[in-house]
Amino acid sequence: MHLIWLELRNYRNYGHLDLEPGPRLNLFLGANGQGKTNLLESVAMLALSSSPRARRDAELVGPLAPEARIAAVVESGSRRAEIRISIVIDGERARRRIEVDGRPRRAVDLPGLFRVALFWPDDLNLVKSGPEHRRRLLNQMLVQVEAGYARALARYARVLEQRNSLLKQVWSGDQPPSALEVWDLELAKLGGEIAGARGRAVAALREGAAAAHGVISGGEVLELEYQGPPADLLSAVENSRREDLRRGSTSVGPHRDDILMRLGGRDARGFASQGQQRTAVVSVKLAEAELVASMTGERPVLLLDDVLSELDGDRRRALLESLGEPGQVVITSVEAEPFPAAVIGSSVVRCIEAGRVQACG
Amino acid sequence: MDQLPPSLEQLIQELSRLPSIGPKTAQRLAFHILRSDRTRTDALAQAIVEIKTRIGYCERCFNIAEGPLCGICASGRRDPGLVCVVESALDVLAIERTAEYQGLYHVLHGVISPIDGVGPEDIHVPALLERVGGGGIAEVIIATDADIEGEATAVYLSRVLAPIGVRVTRPAHGLPVGGDLEYADELTLARAMSGRRAF
Repeated sequence: MHLIWLELRNYRNYGHLDLEPGPRLNLFLGANGQGKTNLLESVAMLALSSSPRARRDAELVGPLAPEARIAAVVESGSRRAEIRISIVIDGERARRRIEVDGRPRRAVDLPGLFRVALFWPDDLNLVKSGPEHRRRLLNQMLVQVEAGYARALARYARVLEQRNSLLKQVWSGDQPPSALEVWDLELAKLGGEIAGARGRAVAALREGAAAAHGVISGGEVLELEYQGPPADLLSAVENSRREDLRRGSTSVGPHRDDILMRLGGRDARGFASQGQQRTAVVSVKLAEAELVASMTGERPVLLLDDVLSELDGDRRRALLESLGEPGQVVITSVEAEPFPAAVIGSSVVRCIEAGRVQACG
Repeated sequence: MDQLPPSLEQLIQELSRLPSIGPKTAQRLAFHILRSDRTRTDALAQAIVEIKTRIGYCERCFNIAEGPLCGICASGRRDPGLVCVVESALDVLAIERTAEYQGLYHVLHGVISPIDGVGPEDIHVPALLERVGGGGIAEVIIATDADIEGEATAVYLSRVLAPIGVRVTRPAHGLPVGGDLEYADELTLARAMSGRRAF
């Protein structure tokens, strides 16, 4: 999996960027606020079709025109594809248009063509932050490797919205309770698909994450456990109807999922130190890249946004060693300091300043 | 823009309310109409007035009709035992273009969508149940869209039609004709595989 060429136009703080990354390590250095994260975000969009961090698409459009564009040539196996994403401000909303090799493609059908493994500073709090963060980790991986997952996720979100709206109408007597039946069925069907994929993913991550964690920490035991909805989701949804009507929202389903992380047998959310937490995160991320590679037969492009400087000693070494595997990696950092000379020597190093990428110095 | 005469301004504004017409296109259309021959513009205005006075809905299937029944319900050559349920009159046009379907229709004019405050009573579901309950119909094909609301409406209809004892079907999903297997999206391909038929 390779990013061969990337062009950005009026994307956040990039007026015009034309970039040919190297096939292995790519290191982008720059002070904060110069566009390092924006660059990685645009690459992530090619894989996920939406930004992993923007709340609204309109944020992506720069000040020069009401349209932002990302164009790229990616290579998977021996096949090359050209991906174009444009975001056009249209009144209050922003419309996203996606084309692959000149043909329009729906956003839910893009993921899987180009695959990345992301590691953002946000991820460093994975263990102790809210469950939505851990669900996002699974979602970002699964949309890229499981056919139909992105679509199931989008459809599930829509069913949830419809059912929650209907719950309020039933509660106020505008609709009969029987109107909920079809939405319960759809929720259970799609929810079951999502939960099945997540359960398999966590089971597959468990071993790799535990092995990496054991090595970095010197023997500490990390366990991952998927906490999904009940196996008989339809009955669970039907049984929670009274409670749901009272709350006006749906209390059972994969939108409530979590991954339980245990260290030495104890729930890590409650006690993990910053060091333990970061070891666990690095381990999970390494396992994720490994799993995507084994599921697809190809290493995803690794995107590391300024995380190495946040890690110390063994954790940084473990991550850097895994970068030695053949595969394309894009790293951003404020300084060249955390990187051993060997890494710098084998990398394409460029500097980012005010939305421009150039040779350093 | 402030320089335009009010009547031209008015026309531009009305045109820009039409679907997929932005302000620029509306301006272009308005100037085109202004430059056009008087007979053409009269014909256009007349056509717009007539459509609202003459076209109504078929009292049996709610398709568009110029009279109490639409052309399809009025035709003696259609199979009255077969009813295809669609979301809009545009869907009728699409299916008619295939010239493959010989039954009648039932146009719901919408789908069930709680967010939009639309329940079964707000689309022509009661009329459908009455129609099917009246007898003489052997099969109901539910051809609502494959999006969430269309799917939920289909499931709802199949459940309320079941006690009547009529055969209820849904059109097959499959590969586009002449399409390249390699380029089919994965869900379509998956459904086409699981819904395969023997030769």
